[in-house]
Amino acid sequence: MAFIPGQPVTAVVQRIEIQKLRQGDNLILGFSIGGGIDQDPGQNPFSEDKTDKGIYVTRITPGGPADAAGLMMGDKIMQVNGWDMTMVTHDQARRTLTKKKEDVVRLLVTRKSLEEAVKQSMSYPRQ
Amino acid sequence: MPVDKFANMEEKLWILEDLNMMYIRQIALSLQDSDIQKKIDHEIRMRDGACKLLAACSQRDQALEAAKSLQTCSTRIMAYMSELQRMKEAQVMQKVTRRSSDAGPMDDRLPCKGKVAISDLRIPLMWKDTEYFKNKGELHRCAVFCLLQLGGEIFDTDMVIVDRTLTDICFDNTIVFTDASPGFELRVELYSCCSEDDYSAGSTPRKLASKLSSSLGRSAGKKLRAAMEPGPCSPVSNGGASPLLLPVPSVPGPKYHLLAHTTLSLSHVQDSFRTHDLTISGNEECSYWLPLYGSMCCRLAAQPHCMTQQMMSGCLKVKQCGGDPQSWTKVFAVLKGTSLFCYHRQEDVEANIEPAFTIAVNKETRIRASEKDPHSKVQNICISNQYGGEEVTHTLTTDSREDTHRWMEAFWQHFYDMSQWKQCCDDLMKIELPSPRKPAPVTPKQGSLYHEMVIESSDDLSSTVSDILARRLQELELRSQLGTSPTWMSVFDENNPKSAGRPRPCTSRLSGHSPCTPHRLPRSPVSPHRCPQTGLLSSDASLTSDSDSHCSTSPCSHHHGWPEPPSNFSLLSSSPSRLRPRTLSLDAKLSTLRGRGYGGGGTFQCPCQPPPSSLLAPIPISSRSPRSQRSTQTTLSCSSSTSSNSSSNSEGSHSPESSEGAPFSRPSPARRSLRNLRARLDPRNWLQSQV
Repeated sequence: MAFIPGQPVTAVVQRIEIQKLRQGDNLILGFSIGGGIDQDPGQNPFSEDKTDKGIYVTRITPGGPADAAGLMMGDKIMQVNGWDMTMVTHDQARRTLTKKKEDVVRLLVTRKSLEEAVKQSMSYPRQ
Repeated sequence: MPVDKFANMEEKLWILEDLNMMYIRQIALSLQDSDIQKKIDHEIRMRDGACKLLAACSQRDQALEAAKSLQTCSTRIMAYMSELQRMKEAQVMQKVTRRSSDAGPMDDRLPCKGKVAISDLRIPLMWKDTEYFKNKGELHRCAVFCLLQLGGEIFDTDMVIVDRTLTDICFDNTIVFTDASPGFELRVELYSCCSEDDYSAGSTPRKLASKLSSSLGRSAGKKLRAAMEPGPCSPVSNGGASPLLLPVPSVPGPKYHLLAHTTLSLSHVQDSFRTHDLTISGNEECSYWLPLYGSMCCRLAAQPHCMTQQMMSGCLKVKQCGGDPQSWTKVFAVLKGTSLFCYHRQEDVEANIEPAFTIAVNKETRIRASEKDPHSKVQNICISNQYGGEEVTHTLTTDSREDTHRWMEAFWQHFYDMSQWKQCCDDLMKIELPSPRKPAPVTPKQGSLYHEMVIESSDDLSSTVSDILARRLQELELRSQLGTSPTWMSVFDENNPKSAGRPRPCTSRLSGHSPCTPHRLPRSPVSPHRCPQTGLLSSDASLTSDSDSHCSTSPCSHHHGWPEPPSNFSLLSSSPSRLRPRTLSLDAKLSTLRGRGYGGGGTFQCPCQPPPSSLLAPIPISSRSPRSQRSTQTTLSCSSSTSSNSSSNSEGSHSPESSEGAPFSRPSPARRSLRNLRARLDPRNWLQSQV
């Protein structure tokens, strides 16, 4: 999932809609993120390309809203509610996900298995 | 005399206005449509109210809100008027046609209506980099809002004040239009009004105003003049119709001008966010100008009624093709969305019991009436679908010919609806109605990190900060629900007799699973950098080490007798009355505010995070020194200071998350941002945040 500066980024994405869960005064999503343009990308265990500074899902709380919506560990988040996540700092990403006024976040995520699936379906001839 | 002419004009305009109102009311009456009449009356009343409010209010933001309501009311009145005229026309045409020919049955099929919702409107701005980063010159602020119009429904969003610290104009409202046809046109208009305080020049007589504008600087004068009277960018604040039809009341106050507009239709509807182009009116000379990037991002969703409501229901007998010719299953069928749901009994529908089976009715389905079955007197309806590579056909039959006809009609209508609503019928799009909840606390404007630090400015910054701390101390005490401090805390009390009697709010904020492990070092042998700290651990362990390295303290720690710290760090006293106020550097402020303690179950994790289970034992002081030395070599790192953990944690390694049991509470934005600043500055870390 490397990108070439100046070229548009293309990826096979899946749309995931997560309903935030209210716990007391907080709205939680039930997952953790890592990465960002201000972080060291070499320490990202989920990225294929170790220069990728995108936002990745590092942990999913089992049974939480993200788990129910189909988010998986290792997914790279490309967009949140229309806001781009491929070129943001870690804090910006966290803030975009945790806006108090929003009950729902619509993510566009990409993962390796999606690309594989598309490749496979294109290689096999249709019966 | 120019002033007299002005007054004369005003009078004439008022008279025209009244005449227009009468005209509107007459049309409404003649149509005998009480619905529209009521709406128009309501809007006229609102408009009058807004005018009066505008004239009466003194504060700028009230005036802006009133002007916004005025704009909305005027637009609504225009819309109702045009609808009235259309209805009047239609009525007249109908009379004409009725006279000329027999009224035949309406053959045209009309598609079903639906709900259209637009949400998450975001308009990016394009400031010059000098303006945005260097913050030069005075802050030019504009008040903006969006007006959304679909058919006869007009809604406005909340007003947002925009200045050059904002990168996007965001409107949080979700607007739902309930009665839209597939050929709808949703017009989005962005209105803006300059929001400078000096420009309440509406009441200034013209002569004086021109004198002022010529004596002020060139750009200020230009703006003033433009604000006072519509210059080249004339206000189109009456919905674009001719000014005489509904003249803008000449009330002194802010006036909104159309900045940009666009029209959305069915082709723009999608379940995800899309970007659309804006047509911008006005230019840089106008007072209400904002540098728009030229596009708008939003989510436009539509729910046609054929997807959400039952289009047809009744009793049927169903047989699957290829089955036993005699095995008809009696069902109660409901046509909704992309399926025909077949329930065993009618009561199951309300009881929400799963249907017995479901037959797909979508764009690939083919439905036809079969040949007359020799066994029965009515025609059968065959529904064919392709499942995988196979074709599956269901045959339906009803009790009477009229029923069959009605079902066929319903299916045809359904197919027509789906062909008209196109992509909206593939899947049901979700439309969220904003839940009524108490208004969220005013969030700080988007901006730099330091905007989130809640430090009220006052003359003497140092005393203010001390006051803030003192106040927060009290808050923490009041809020504490947890038990008393662990017994070993008393060990550290002896070193600071002054604060012996002082309550220790930080300990009371311990989360259930990990106690406070104060980290104290003997004073003399270690360098002055070593400061005691009573931090809160658990997964917040990362943060306490930072206070360690900065010898800034939380009020929990007892520093009153502490030696003078090095120059760039200062101690913050928790009893402001006893020590002289100190000037604090920004770093110190940050770390003190942070060191004061966090909610349980911190969300901030570091790769060097030790598992919390090992935090439970209190640690003797002596063993701390070597570790703390090591950990404080990186002054700004968030590496763990919990020396209870062995060196199995290598810094920079990525250890698995360890706060599984932590509750999901999140600390306040100010503290979080401070934490983030510290952690972010260390390039060796790969941060993870729980959301």
